[in-house]
Amino acid sequence: MSNVISASHLTLAYDDGAKEVIKDATFSIKKGEFVFITGPSGSGKSTLLKSLYGQIKASSGNLVVGGLDLAVARQSKLQDLRTHMGIIFQDYKLVNEWTVAKNVVLPLMIAGYSVEVQNTQAQRLLKHVKLSEHADKYPLELSGGEQQRVGVARALAKNPVVILADEPTGNLDDYSSNVIWDLMENACQQLETTVLVVTHKIPSIFSLPYRHFIIENKGVYEVH
Amino acid sequence: MKFIKNHLMFILPLMAILLGVEFYLVFDRTTDSYERGLKEGYSMLVITKKPFSLYQLQKLNSHISNSEKIKRENIVSEIAKGVSKSNEKKILNALPHFYSVHLSEYLGTSKLKQIKRDLEKDKNIKNVETFGSSYSSSYRLFSFIKFSLKIFIVFMAVVSLFLIIKQMEIWKYAHKQRMQVMEIFGAPLMLRSGVLFKVAIVDAILATIFTSLFFLYLKFKWADNSGIDMMMQNKEELFKMTDIGILLGTALLIVIIAVYSVVFTTKGVEE
Repeated sequence: MSNVISASHLTLAYDDGAKEVIKDATFSIKKGEFVFITGPSGSGKSTLLKSLYGQIKASSGNLVVGGLDLAVARQSKLQDLRTHMGIIFQDYKLVNEWTVAKNVVLPLMIAGYSVEVQNTQAQRLLKHVKLSEHADKYPLELSGGEQQRVGVARALAKNPVVILADEPTGNLDDYSSNVIWDLMENACQQLETTVLVVTHKIPSIFSLPYRHFIIENKGVYEVH
Repeated sequence: MKFIKNHLMFILPLMAILLGVEFYLVFDRTTDSYERGLKEGYSMLVITKKPFSLYQLQKLNSHISNSEKIKRENIVSEIAKGVSKSNEKKILNALPHFYSVHLSEYLGTSKLKQIKRDLEKDKNIKNVETFGSSYSSSYRLFSFIKFSLKIFIVFMAVVSLFLIIKQMEIWKYAHKQRMQVMEIFGAPLMLRSGVLFKVAIVDAILATIFTSLFFLYLKFKWADNSGIDMMMQNKEELFKMTDIGILLGTALLIVIIAVYSVVFTTKGVEE
C-alpha cells in the first residue's frame, strides 16, 4: 500500500531554527493505518502534527503528505490538501457562533457543496455521532464530550484521506473518550482512512491493530 | 443591540471621513466660484506712454487675461473744465494711456509683484498700480479660511482612521476563531473573509447613504433658509449626484483595506 505520510530526516524548530523540537526523524505511514504518537509533555507531539497539515514548516529534511512535498508546496496546494484532511483538536476548535449542523459541514461548505447536500450530510453525520437532536444548538450549549463528537463528525464530513487528532480525549471523561475512540476506529476500519493520533496514553479498550511512535529526546521512534 | 453597536462603531468613523471628503468637495466647488468672483472683481492699473494692445501686455506677463483702455477724454473733461478746446487737446496729448488689466487666475501678492516687475521692465510703461494692500488682505483671509478647513478635514480623517483601526482590532478578535478554523480546513482567503466583506460593504453603503442624505438635506432644506448668501447662491454646489460615486468609492476603498488588514494579520492556529 502507498504511503500517505512520509518523513525523511525531518527537523522541526521554532524561533528560526534556534529551538529544535524534532530532529532528523524518518518514518512513513501507509493508507488505512492507525497510528498513535506518544511522548512526554513538551516533547513535540503537537508540533509534529501541525507540520503534517502545514501549519509549521520543516527546518530541514522532507515531509510528504498525500503526495505533496510540504517544504515547497504553494499556499493553494496546501489549502487543497487540507480539504482532504480531518483534523481534531483537544479544545475542539468549533465556531461558537455557528450551529452544530453548520460546524459539522464546514469541510463541505469549503468544497462548495450545495446547501441540500450539506443538510443531508449534516443529518447523516450527526446521527452517526448520536447528536441528531442537537443539530440546531450552538457548541457552547453542549458538554465537552458532545463538542468533541461534533469535532469528529466535522473531521469525517468529507471522507478524508487522513485524520489528524491532537489529544482528542484530553479533556473528556472515560465514557466520552470511549465514544470518540469508537468513532475513530470505525473511520479507520470502514473508510480505510489513515488516522494519526497524538496522545499521552494509548487507550486500553482499543481493539484495532495499530502502530505506535514515541517522541523522545527530539527523535521519533517506532515501538514494536 | 451588540450587533447595532458593532455596525455603528464602524459606520460613524467612516461617515466622519466621508463627511470630510464631501466637505472638501463642497468647499472646493464653492470657493472656486468665490475665487472666480474675486478674480473677476480685481484689476490693476497700468499707465503707459504709448498705446498697448492686450497681446503686447500678455507678452510681458502670461497671467494677464484682459485689458480695458480707460478713456482719457473722460479724465481730461474732469481736469480741464473752463479750459479752451485747443488747450484741452494739448492736455489730452500730454496725458499717458491708462489700462485696467485683469488676470487669468487668483494670485498671491508675490505673484502680483512679479507681474508689476515684468510690466515695468518695458520702458514705455510708466507705472503699474496693483492695489496690493486691499487685494492682499482679502486674499490672506481667504487663504487662511481655506487652509484652516483643510487642516480640520485632514485632522478629522486621521482621528476617524484611528477609530476604524480600533474597530478592526475588535473585528479581528470577533472573527479570529472562525477564520482560523476555516483556514485549518483549507478555506481560501475569499471564503474565510466573506462574512467580513459582507459586513464591511453593507456598512460602507450605509455610511454613503447617511452622508448623502445629510448633504441632500443641506442642499434642499437648509441652504434656502440659512440666510447665508454664499450658500444660497451656490446651492447647486452643495451636493452633486456624482458625489455619491466618489463617496461610495472612498468608503469601499477604506473597507477593503480594513478587511484585508484583518484577514492578513489573522493567521494560523493559536499555539
